[in-house]
Amino acid sequence: MRITLEDVVFAYQNGGFEVSVDALTLGFCTVVLGDNGSGKTTLGKLCAGILRPDKGAVYYDGADIAQWSLGKIGRSVGYLFQEPSRQLFAQTPLEEIAFPLEIRGESKKNAEKKARELLAEFELSDIADSNAYTLSRGEKQRLAIAAAMAVSPNFFILDEPTTGLDEPRKSILLSALNNLKTKGVGLLVITHDRGFARRLDAQTLTMGGGRVLA
Amino acid sequence: MPRKKQSPKISSTHTLPDPRVVFVFALYFSTFAVIFRTPLPMTILLIIAVDYSIAIRVPFKKLWGRLKRLWQIVLAVSILQSVFVQSGETLIGIGGLPIVTLGGLLTGLTVLLRLALLITSASMLSVYPPRTLIQGMLQLGVPQEIAYMVSIGLRFIPQMGQALRDSIIALQLRGIEPRELKLIGRIRLYSYLLMPAVASTLQNARELSMSLEMRGFRAYNKRSSYRRLSLKTGDIFLLGAIGLFTIFTAIFAINPSIIPFVELEFWGWIFRKGD
Repeated sequence: MRITLEDVVFAYQNGGFEVSVDALTLGFCTVVLGDNGSGKTTLGKLCAGILRPDKGAVYYDGADIAQWSLGKIGRSVGYLFQEPSRQLFAQTPLEEIAFPLEIRGESKKNAEKKARELLAEFELSDIADSNAYTLSRGEKQRLAIAAAMAVSPNFFILDEPTTGLDEPRKSILLSALNNLKTKGVGLLVITHDRGFARRLDAQTLTMGGGRVLA
Repeated sequence: MPRKKQSPKISSTHTLPDPRVVFVFALYFSTFAVIFRTPLPMTILLIIAVDYSIAIRVPFKKLWGRLKRLWQIVLAVSILQSVFVQSGETLIGIGGLPIVTLGGLLTGLTVLLRLALLITSASMLSVYPPRTLIQGMLQLGVPQEIAYMVSIGLRFIPQMGQALRDSIIALQLRGIEPRELKLIGRIRLYSYLLMPAVASTLQNARELSMSLEMRGFRAYNKRSSYRRLSLKTGDIFLLGAIGLFTIFTAIFAINPSIIPFVELEFWGWIFRKGD
């Protein structure tokens, strides 16, 4: 799946910070680098439909998403927030992954099976039934990634996915992302971690002052 | 050298009253909102409360947007009260079965006015920065723990709303559109989301309180304030006025017959005139 931005302008009402992108197509795997406040997260949120542009349009495989609900967007695009706590809502890691699958119509047994597989992939099996509020930052981060992957998105946007992860966990994440790449899932990875970005073998964009610099 | 005493300002040309004055006003309106049980005195109080709020520049337009859902609930509660309370003349009925009675209508109206008064009273405090409110409470003699608790509580209400909205966005980004779910599914979903929103807010509050204590909060029994509020002539005049108002309103509350319009018969007469 391709995400295209055309003449997109978005300005925050309070601070007036503006992100402006003339033409950008995100394909297979893209890494966005840039300083704090350069507009990386805003770009990611515009691509995921969380923020809607003031001008211009965002297209998914040529279809304008202006009228799409976030629920419809979520069927094809996954999003990992910068702060994982913001996207975790269930009381246990198992429920966190299984509950949305159940709501989407999967049987409880299948949802739980899929959840346990994902928890195993991200080395979270031991805490599957633990209280989600007691997880460490790194565990929350891995759980949020696993939960976003559970719905098999066609495109996955990850905002600072390596925050709070140690080297072995970064490698697990890298292998999961490479696995998604081989399945043809598009990736947009927003990060400060240049080492991780290099290991991803992706097209690199650099942002500054709300614009794509290179 | 003593620091010059300040009044909170919202613009270079407009100075707000001392927050203690607004506390007393809010207390006056909210207390009588609970005491009165008929629409007329509450309407008068609401008019005064709104006028006063406009004078201190409560951002009604902004608040209206934020409280839109709350107003819908308030209206729904009032309509339900109108239907379920059956007393007095029947105003609307189907085949002899009373649907809306005069007593029910007045009860519904009273509930609407009472909630409007309570919301207006609370919104008066929204014009002050949290620190000014805390200082006002402290100088009113409220213990510092309670003053900070109230202030932090006010701060966490929007945070809880934000946590709930974040959870909904996270769910939507996993392909679930709450609006498309059946009622049972939606109830299940929201009951599922509410608990973590409350839990994360409590967790944030706990971390904040630990952080405050680490920075020396409650290190001593008494605390000094870098900034002190001082009552000006206008504030003292307003406090005197609200004192007189309170005496008059309390007399009226004890003996409502000093003004004839509050009697039920008067309202029955109004409605009959319209027939």
